[in-house]
Amino acid sequence: MTNTGVNTARPPLGLALRSLLRADFLVLLNGKTSVFLSILLPVVILVANTFGKGQSRLGGSSLVIGLALTLGLLTSGLFGYTLALAHDRDVGVLQRLRVTPAPTWMIMTSRVLVQVATNLVASVIVVIVGALAYGLSLNPGQYLLVIAVSVLGAAAFLAIGQAVVGLVQSTSAINAVTRVLMILLLLLGLLGGTGILGDTMKSIAAWSPVGALMTLFADTLNASSWSGQDTTALLACIGYVAVCATIGVRWFRWNSR
Amino acid sequence: MTSEVSEPGSPSVLEISQLRVAYEGRTVVDGVSFRIQRGEIFGLLGPNGAGKTSTLSAIEGLVRPASGSLLVDGLDVEQQPLAVKALLKVQLQSSSFQDELSIQEIARLYAGLYGVKLSREQVRGNTRPVGLGDELGKKFKQLSGGQQQRLALYIATIHNPLLLLLDEPTAGLDPQSRRGLWRHIEELRAEGNSILLTTHSMEEAQAVCDRVAIIDHGKLLTEGRPSELINKHKDGPRVLSVAHGAPTLEDVFIGLTGSEIRD
Ligand SMILES: Nc1ncnc2c1ncn2[C@@H]1O[C@H](COP(=O)(O)OP(=O)(O)OP(=O)(O)O)[C@@H](O)[C@H]1O
Ligand SMILES: [Mg+2]
Repeated sequence: MTNTGVNTARPPLGLALRSLLRADFLVLLNGKTSVFLSILLPVVILVANTFGKGQSRLGGSSLVIGLALTLGLLTSGLFGYTLALAHDRDVGVLQRLRVTPAPTWMIMTSRVLVQVATNLVASVIVVIVGALAYGLSLNPGQYLLVIAVSVLGAAAFLAIGQAVVGLVQSTSAINAVTRVLMILLLLLGLLGGTGILGDTMKSIAAWSPVGALMTLFADTLNASSWSGQDTTALLACIGYVAVCATIGVRWFRWNSR
Repeated sequence: MTSEVSEPGSPSVLEISQLRVAYEGRTVVDGVSFRIQRGEIFGLLGPNGAGKTSTLSAIEGLVRPASGSLLVDGLDVEQQPLAVKALLKVQLQSSSFQDELSIQEIARLYAGLYGVKLSREQVRGNTRPVGLGDELGKKFKQLSGGQQQRLALYIATIHNPLLLLLDEPTAGLDPQSRRGLWRHIEELRAEGNSILLTTHSMEEAQAVCDRVAIIDHGKLLTEGRPSELINKHKDGPRVLSVAHGAPTLEDVFIGLTGSEIRD
């Protein structure tokens, strides 16, 4: 039926996945934005805070490092991943990939995996710089926990970004929404957490993604024992991943029209 | 309205019957049927908004047909989407590659997705005929519009597809590249591939396509060899009124679809 030089076999999935991972990684590397957002920005915060009284104002070195880690995950998830996805949908990169024999889950998974891997490397670098800058000595278990919390945080922010791209169709609207969302999440997590906005805000902040992650990071870095607040934070993060990823996948559309 | 050129026993490369595509309830492809045989270049012609891209999108699996059936090499597009996609090579009317990837990287990505491993040297050799051999390190966003179009066409032929779908492949190409493209399409046909393309250039369709179909408002108006269509419609009053001298395919096209500009 079909022979003579025409290739009719289903291409191997392994090769397809490797090619996608390689390309997505090169996009991140060549684009530089993600590297800047996930590594340089947090490092700048760490270093800037060693000068003056910033440290005491924000409440201790573990909180500052926790903030730097959280910020790296937040910005690269919401700006790096989300805006790139929206842009690629807008100009038709996703449509082009979708007419190849690669399954659609693979196209998405590859992007997510590359982003999470970058976040992990970034988190390790930020923690090492932070520990050096503030003279903390962390044991291997703490490094492993930082990595585990980073995976959770990366997943939460990627899921939130995915939900935005799933619910909002226009790229310029996504640009605006992510900016507002970013400010809201930061304000809620940081200011709400200090208690100056009142007790209600403080408990909301504990459940917010930024607040929850900062709690988990700070407790990891302090090597404090597991508390009820950590359980709240962990449950909150898992909840964000589950709910937002479901929304983001369920309503995701591959083209912008 | 299917032509009966099929050899007995061999399935058509593409068999569309009673295809209907609708966007938000508005039907834009309405009961279109045609077949494409092995080694055939088939041109889908029609004014802007006629439903050409929508028809291709249904074959590519980008839109789900409201009704009708689509078989590629006997495989149902809806039931075996990935197996069908492996048989297709596609150039979309509007699509893009990742801005941050170089030609080299894009070529290796798409080769990998179709199960082909390409070395750097192979990419260099393959892209020379389309005039990109010296630009391999350039990022996609740094290419001119025509170079981007040539890259899309090169990517569409990386592996030997059973059926090549080209949506306005010559749009934006200079005359040299256009000649090169037609030569390449004819080579692919000689190797036994089939090609379904859309174009607004009636001269090119008349010169290159084995068969053409004209669609308008989502409906297939006529189908056949260009010379057959000219013969069949050359005495129609609207065709006669637009023809200067011997009727051409373009005269038939305008005669059948009217001379108003579409919105
Ligand atoms: N995603 C979409 N959502 C809604 N309507 C659409 C969509 N894509 C196309 N249409 C409409 O469907 C009709 C057919 O469009 P299509 O793109 O198939 O035309 P075409 O024949 O390819 O035209 P052109 O020569 O301009 O490329 C048009 O009226 C168009 O506005
Ligand atoms: Mg079109």
